[in-house]
Amino acid sequence: MLLITCPWCGPRAETEFSYGGEADIARPLDPDALSDAEWADYLFYRGNPRGPHREKWNHVHGCRRWFGVERDTVSYRIARSFMLSAGGPGADADAGPESGGDANTEQED
Amino acid sequence: MSEPAPHRHGLEAFFATAESTPDARVEIGVLSNRGFLNVRLDPRKQQNVRTAEQVLGQAMPLVANTYTSGRHRVYWLGPDEWLVETGAGDAATLGGELTAVLAGSGAAINDVSGGQVALRIAGADARTVLAKGCTLDLHPREFGPGQCARTGLARATLLLAAADAAPSYTIIVGRSFADYLCRWLAHAARPHGACFSTR
Repeated sequence: MLLITCPWCGPRAETEFSYGGEADIARPLDPDALSDAEWADYLFYRGNPRGPHREKWNHVHGCRRWFGVERDTVSYRIARSFMLSAGGPGADADAGPESGGDANTEQED
Repeated sequence: MSEPAPHRHGLEAFFATAESTPDARVEIGVLSNRGFLNVRLDPRKQQNVRTAEQVLGQAMPLVANTYTSGRHRVYWLGPDEWLVETGAGDAATLGGELTAVLAGSGAAINDVSGGQVALRIAGADARTVLAKGCTLDLHPREFGPGQCARTGLARATLLLAAADAAPSYTIIVGRSFADYLCRWLAHAARPHGACFSTR
């Protein structure tokens, strides 16, 4: 089982989380201007890399927040977890966990 | 606000038939007449927190996975979400007051009393029993009084709080899970001897 560090709650068992696929997929600013191929690429096509992978997870049985994880798809080793971009409450650095044990958690953006 | 909903926990049948063992090392109880408010507000605006704290009469926990005790219990659920545990009769009034003072701030106060059941697990072997179905490290060094966590226990999602060092734990769980969870706890506690109480 993976031990995933939630940026807010600290390390928790994988069973508390829900996987949300590849991270950093930006919705096109002007969808009407896209060709069908570009739209399909945005909707369906993913990198599926071998090695480091930035992906989204939701702490669904915990604080219910989305965050990002950088995981190696070969070794399953998790390099770090990070908060997704600012805008939502709790995305500030000072809202991070204040207990120890989250050395591999860092603020991003 | 309308009349408060009836706060029956729905576990009457379970506790009526559960048989207590004489030398019980685990105590399983249900806390009757509890009311719950779900509070969501943006803590980055300190004024929101201060306003809520004035009405609550106590500090709000801003550190993850902690709770504060006072007139009520306020549990941290997420970076912008809290659960207030209070008396069943007080939830509607308190919710109304919070809604009034936080109007226009984007805060959301919801009375979720009808959907929650509070259980109490105590006794010398309480931690061992919980550990049978929970992935958290429940050692007092990691999870002591003042701390709480939304987590999973026997595949049910719930809020687990370390109430005191006795040890005694409070579980707040969705009422549709409560009967299942009590039966699971009773089964898990059987080798340790269990006694049952309602209050």
